[in-house]
Parts: sequence; C-alpha cells; structure tokens
Amino acid sequence: MTGSAERGLLRQGLRYALVMRLAVMAAASLVSLFVEPAPRPGVAVAVVLAINAWNAVYATAMARRAARVRRWLVPVDVLVVCGACLTQVWTAAPDVGADGMSWVLVMAEITIVSYPWQIGTAALAAVTAAVVPAYLVGAVIARPDEWLVSAPFQLWLVMEAALSWGLYKFVRRAARAADRQVERGELLRRDAAIAASRRVDEHEYLAALHDTASATLLMVGAGVVPGPRRWLADQAARDLDVISEPSVASHREVDLMGRLREVAGLTPLRVRLRGPDALSVPAVTAATLCHGTREALTNVVRHSGVAEADITASLDGDTVVVEVADAGRGFDAEHLPRHGYGVTRSLVERMRRVGGRAEVVSAPGQGCRVRMECPRTTRQFAADDTEVIGTAFQTGLGWAVVVMNLVILFLLDLPKLLTNLDTYRAVWPQVLAWGGFLAITAWAALVLRRGRQLGRWRWVLVAVVFALSALATESIPPEHRLGAVHWSEGDAGWTVALLLLDARAVVFVGVLLAQYAMTFGHAALAGDSAVSFAGLVNATVIVLGYQLAVGLIAAVLRGLAASSAKVARAEEELRTAEAVAEQLHRDRMERYAGLADTTVPLLRGLASGALDPGDEGVRQRCAVEAAKMRRLFAEDTTAPDQLLHELRACIELAERNGISVSFAECGVRPEIPRVARRTLTEPAVAALATARGRVRLTVSGSDGSVTVSVVADCPPHLVPEPNTDGVRTSTLVDGDRVWVQATWQGGR
Amino acid sequence: MNTVVVVDDHPAVIAGVRAWCALADPPIEVVASGTNVGVAWLSPGDQAQVVILDLQLDMAGPAYGDLKRLVDAGRQVVIYSMRADRETVLASLDIGAFTYLTKAEGQDHLVAAVHAAATNTPYTPPMLSGAFGTDDRPNRPRLSPRETEVLLEWFHCESKEMVARQLNLTVRRVNACLERVRIKYANVGRTAPTKAALVARAIQDGLIRADEL
Repeated sequence: MTGSAERGLLRQGLRYALVMRLAVMAAASLVSLFVEPAPRPGVAVAVVLAINAWNAVYATAMARRAARVRRWLVPVDVLVVCGACLTQVWTAAPDVGADGMSWVLVMAEITIVSYPWQIGTAALAAVTAAVVPAYLVGAVIARPDEWLVSAPFQLWLVMEAALSWGLYKFVRRAARAADRQVERGELLRRDAAIAASRRVDEHEYLAALHDTASATLLMVGAGVVPGPRRWLADQAARDLDVISEPSVASHREVDLMGRLREVAGLTPLRVRLRGPDALSVPAVTAATLCHGTREALTNVVRHSGVAEADITASLDGDTVVVEVADAGRGFDAEHLPRHGYGVTRSLVERMRRVGGRAEVVSAPGQGCRVRMECPRTTRQFAADDTEVIGTAFQTGLGWAVVVMNLVILFLLDLPKLLTNLDTYRAVWPQVLAWGGFLAITAWAALVLRRGRQLGRWRWVLVAVVFALSALATESIPPEHRLGAVHWSEGDAGWTVALLLLDARAVVFVGVLLAQYAMTFGHAALAGDSAVSFAGLVNATVIVLGYQLAVGLIAAVLRGLAASSAKVARAEEELRTAEAVAEQLHRDRMERYAGLADTTVPLLRGLASGALDPGDEGVRQRCAVEAAKMRRLFAEDTTAPDQLLHELRACIELAERNGISVSFAECGVRPEIPRVARRTLTEPAVAALATARGRVRLTVSGSDGSVTVSVVADCPPHLVPEPNTDGVRTSTLVDGDRVWVQATWQGGR
Repeated sequence: MNTVVVVDDHPAVIAGVRAWCALADPPIEVVASGTNVGVAWLSPGDQAQVVILDLQLDMAGPAYGDLKRLVDAGRQVVIYSMRADRETVLASLDIGAFTYLTKAEGQDHLVAAVHAAATNTPYTPPMLSGAFGTDDRPNRPRLSPRETEVLLEWFHCESKEMVARQLNLTVRRVNACLERVRIKYANVGRTAPTKAALVARAIQDGLIRADEL
C-alpha cells in the first residue's frame, strides 16, 4: 500500500510541476514576443497565445487526474510541443546566442523537465525521443548555417530530462522510506496499544465482575438473602447485562449524567443527583465513573445505615469529578485493611488505570464521601511522525541536488571551461572556481551521508561561492560575459541551492537572487556582454527557475511532512482503534464463554426466580462461584508464586466466613499453566467456600508433579472432581470429612 | 514422669507448652524454661529428658550450633519452630534433632512427640513427613515408592486412618512405614549419638533389619 508521505508527494509534485510549467513557459514566450521581433510576428503571436491557452487546458485536465483523459492528453501535448519546435523558424528570433537559448528551447526544456511528475519512466523516454529531434530539426530549419555550433547545447535537453527524472526518483524513494519507517513505528505502537488496552479492559472487566456478579453471589452464598426478593432478581439481571456487555474501550463520547441517573435508579436508596444537564465524556471514562459510583452506593446500602445518598458531578477544567456522599455512620478510613478487595482496591486502582484518582473521606459518625476524578481526554497512542518524514524528504532531495550539481559540473561546465581556455584572461580563477564548487558539493554529500545538518558552516561556504563566482566572472573578458564561455554564471546557483536546501524559502530565494544580481551587475558594469536581453531572460528563466523550483520543493516537502504525518496519524489511530476493538471483543467473548456454564446459569436462575436464594443448595453453589471469582481476581502474572497467591485469596475469604484453615506446603513446584492451575485448585476452592469448622489445605510438589489437597467438612457433591487439563482427582469421604486431592503431572 | 526444658524467646509459647504438658497423659513436667539455650545446660534444665528448642532465637538465623552441641551431649531435642521450609527441617534432622514440629502443629503433636522422644521411638509429624517425601538432595536415603506415598499422604491429610483407607493399608502399616523412613534418615549424614541410639533401638525392636540400611 502506498503510504501517506508518498501519496502526498505525488499529488503535490504533480501540482507544482504543472504550475511551474505554466509559469515558465508564459514568462519566456511573452517576454520574447514583446522584446525580440520574430521573423513572422503574426504567426508568432498566434502560436504563443495558442501554446499558453493549451498549456492552461492541459494543466487543468492533468490536475484532475482522470485516467481516461490522460491517455490522449499527453500524446496531444507532445504533438503540440513538437509542432512549436518545428515551426520555430517563424516564431523565434534568429540572433540568439551560441547556446541557442530561444523561448522555444525554454518551452521544450520545461515540458521535459516537468514530465517525470506526470508520466512513467518509459513514457518519459519516448517523449524525450520525440521532442528533442523535433527541436533539432526545427533549429536546422531556422538556422541552417549555425545549428552545428548550437547542437551540443541543445542535446543538453536529454540530460535535463534525466536530471529531473533523477530528482523525482530520489524524492519519491525518500517518501517511500519515510512511509516504511512510519509503518514500522506504527506496528510497534499498535502492538503496545493493544497490549495496554487489553490490560486496561481485563482490569476493567474484573472490577466490573467484582462489583456485580461476585458481590451478588457472595451475598447469596453468605446466606444474607432468606428467600426470593425482587431487588435481588433485578440485581442478578443487571449483573448478567454487565458480564455480557461489549468492551467499553472505544473513543466514543457518551453523556455521563444519563449514565449516573441510571446507576442511581438501580439502588433502593433515595439518591439526589446534582450537576449539569448533560456532561459529555469518553465511554471509558463514563464506564469507570459509573462503576465506581455503583460501588460507592453499594457500600452506602451495606454499611451506612441511612437510606439516602448524594451524587454530585462536575467538570473542573479538563477533569470530571463525581462525588458520592452519605450522612451515615461512617467508618475509620485510616484503618481499612490495606490488601482487601473492597473499596480501596477496586475504586482507587480503577481510577488510577484511567489516569484519575479516588479518595475516600470518612470518620465514625461523620458519614462517608467518595470523590472520584478522571481526566476527560483519553490517551492517544499514535505519535507525530513529522520529523521522520521531514528528514527522509530532506535527505532524498539533498542527494538529488548533489547528483545534479555533479552532473552539471562535469558534463556541462567542465567541457565549456576546457573548450574556452584561450578566451579567459587567466585560467587559474576558472579552475579554482570549478574545483571550489566541486569540493563544496563533496562536503555537502559527506554531511548528508552522516545524517548531520550543514550547520553554521553553510554561511561561510555561501560566502566562498559568492567570492569564487565573482573571481570567475572577473577573469572573463567583458564581451564574453553571460555567454557560453561564462559557465559559472547560472551554475554557481546550484551550489548555493545545495547549501541552503533546508533554509527557509525566503532566505533561499533571497540568497539565490543575490548571487544572480551580483553576476549580472558585474557584467553590466563592464558594459558589454555576449547575449541579448531576451536571451538572458530565457537563459535565466530556465536555470534560475529550476533552482528556485528545487528550493520550492524543499519548502513544500517540509509542509508535506507535517500534513503527511497528520494523515498517517489519523490512519494509524483508526487502524489501531479497529485492531484494539477487535481484540477486546475476542477477549470478552472468551471470558463470557468461561462463565457461560457456571455463573451465567446461576444469575439467570436468580434473575428469573427459578432459583431460591434461601435454598441451601443454591446458597452453596453461589458461595463456590463467588470463591472462584475471588481466585480469578487474584490471578496476577506479577505474583512470584501464582498458585499460592490464588489459594491465599480463597483462604482469606474462607477465614472471613469463620473457617479455620491450616495451610502447609512443601517441595518444589514447577510453573503450572493457567488453565491447569484453575482445574487444580477447583476442588479446594469449592471446599473452602462450603466448609464448616476446620479445613486442612496443603500443597506439595515433587518430581514435577503438584498436588493440592483439601480435607474439610463440606457436602461432598459440591466438591468437583475434575479429570481434565492433565489433572487427576481422588476423593475420600470419612464420616463428615471429605478429602479431595488434585494432582497435576505436567511438569515431568 | 517425663521431664522437659523449654527454650523459646516468646513467653506465650512457653506458657502454651506448659499448659499442654500439664494436661498431658501421662503428665510431663517442665523443669525449666527460658529465652536462652543456657537453661538447657544449667541445673535444673540439664536434667530434663527432652529439650524443646525454638530454632529461631534471634535474628542470626537458625540456631544450628546450639542444636549440634545439645545433640553431641546426647540430649533428645524436639525442634519447635515458626520455620516450615524443607531445607531447615531436613538440616535439623541431619544434625540429629529427634523431630521437627512447626508452631502450627504444636497443639496436635507436641505432647506425643515429647513422649516418643523420652522413649526413643520415632515420631514424624506431617510437616516433617512432607519434607521427607519431597526430599531431592543427592545424599537422601533410598525410600521405596510406597514409603514416599505414605509420607506425602500423611502430610496432606493429617489422619492416619484416612491415609490407610486411601492406600488400602492398615494403620499399623502406615505407622511402620513412617518409622522405617525415620530410621533411614537417622542412618545417613552426620553421625550423632541420638541418631545411633534411634537406629539401635529400631533394630532391637525388629522395626528394621540391619541389611535394609
């Protein structure tokens, strides 16, 4: 797939190529029309106007980029240009300089130079092969006696086509490299984003489970509910909704007030809700705050001893604040158990995960106030790649100009210099200037290669270029200045362009024009020169135009880097969001499937009234499922010994229910995969949840096998005997005592 | 009457041990107690048949040195410790401790362990049994698969009747198994008079034959 930088480059490149072609051709042809009398003025006027009109039509049609139109547009354009070349005998002034710089040549050059941005390489070769001969034939017809002298200069057309093509290739390759780099970064960032979102969602899901299904089952399991109750059925139905609801990790915005009103309506309390009419926040933030509010309200119901509570929601800058307050009996917030799974863990940790915080303020007799704060904006995963794309563009363009400058120095300037050795007043300034330009180009190439910036040295070197240029001009006899002998006249500009490539556009244009002005002024002071005014305009327009175009491209690329990075960022965010959503959905489905044949039927039965929470069997099943959830909450990949960590969570719960647990472990245990670990602890968790009195829980490991054993007074039918996932279970009933041993042998 | 000296740095533990000993049948007399191992060397503690020793008397780690000196003087030492890790348990037994009890096992096993120590009959409480059953050191004695099985089942369920039912054995066989393992452990590693006495007694009682060792 084409990346955003490359796409942006091709679009912008085409636009600028067309504009430059339009402007250069108009300038050259109109100036010639007014300044130099053509052999057949009538025909010349007609041809110039027709050419410019066609040019405008061509540019508009090309910019629309319709493939159907393009198929005939380019051939017609080539025919038009060839026609103008062949008819130059009527339209171009005959007394141009030795390099034959007429407006027709400028037209042919700009056409060829702008083509790489419009057509493919093969088509470019074909077009060059048509236009160059057409121009040469036209020149022979126009000046039969002079054409041999000027032919070498006109063949430079081919080289210009190659240079322009090279520039295009370099920059496009840079764009592609930038896209690839951006893409690699994106992949890394996306993986990180998915992982982070999964963690957040997992925590969020567990927290929701903790507040809903787990709380309900624990309550029923503890025998708090004597029989079927309307509110319990409603609660179970809501719990089912929560555990089956899709993940909330989307960037969608929702109305927090509406959600809070829903939450407030779900409790037996009289709740006063205060705040703005509507408060728009991201879905994740809303879900977090609502879950927190629900938990705070549940605590009011359980512990406060009052039947009313206040919820206040407000927006403080970019922070959403929700407060739940009651005037109940309160508690000593300083002396809450630190590692409990209650308010502290689920509220404080949950708020921290979304970058907010929670605070519980209470004292005996003073009521309780839970304050939750959450930033309203969510995290952005995508990064800014302006720098990456910008650097790639700059490097690509830099190399293009280096190559161009070397080609011009060796293939154009050096031949001019060598063939005119006798003409110069002194040869050494010419050699010095040429060598100087070459050395500066080589230095710039070296800096580029090392991936560094030109830095302040560039200004010293610009001054050197100016000095060398003046020196070279001085050593040329006035009558030859600005002509073919004066090779450094326009071409010194290339070295300046190379040095100022990453300068601001104004600086670039200013210094470049100053260089030209200095040389022209130098020549003008001597009075005499080798070319006519129109010839000078034509020569300057084409060379300076090209150089300015390079500067312009540099500036455009800098802008393009920013806009491409913006596009890349938007696309990345979209793709990341999709990938995250897809992964989270899969996770949720898996987790729901995990609860489908245990918790879900229980909740369904409680919701429909089919199961009586006062029934001993139902009570015990609920206790077992609640204990399993405790174990799930204790699953923590950072715990050094996960098996013991999970068992301890269940022991803690059992001890809170008045069970005395004697726990012992011995031996060396291998790491047990999560699925096997769950199966292995299944009997122990169920026994702990339903036992009375004393329980012995032991874990032993030897020879790569692990045994979890539990001896307890509990109903044997409630203790499962799993024989899956590499786990073997044996049960022994001895009077009231049930002894279940589960052994996993996967570590052998 | 069996006599003990209690060395523990926690007064509540000493009080608890005194209470259990007073209620024991036959009763056990606590002749001396203290937070320092010195009470076991000085009169009247030096006359006690059994020393109940807390292995962790200060921050310096297990008091192996004190244990070694007591064992070399021919004292029967019952280790009574907070530590339940296999390395400490096995190291204490290797030095020559009579048996090893964790603080959690005190209520059920301390009195029985003292009686056993006084009569030089092996006594293996569950935690020690678990340590034997999962021992993977190169110099461990060779146990039969049945013996390892019994050791681990006893560790897990703390009821010899249930172990017997689980493995289709009699309680007598379970006890015999545990005792034989204890003798095998007494016969390896460092030599100590207490260990030798245990082995001699076992051979004399026909619990184990000399060629089995």
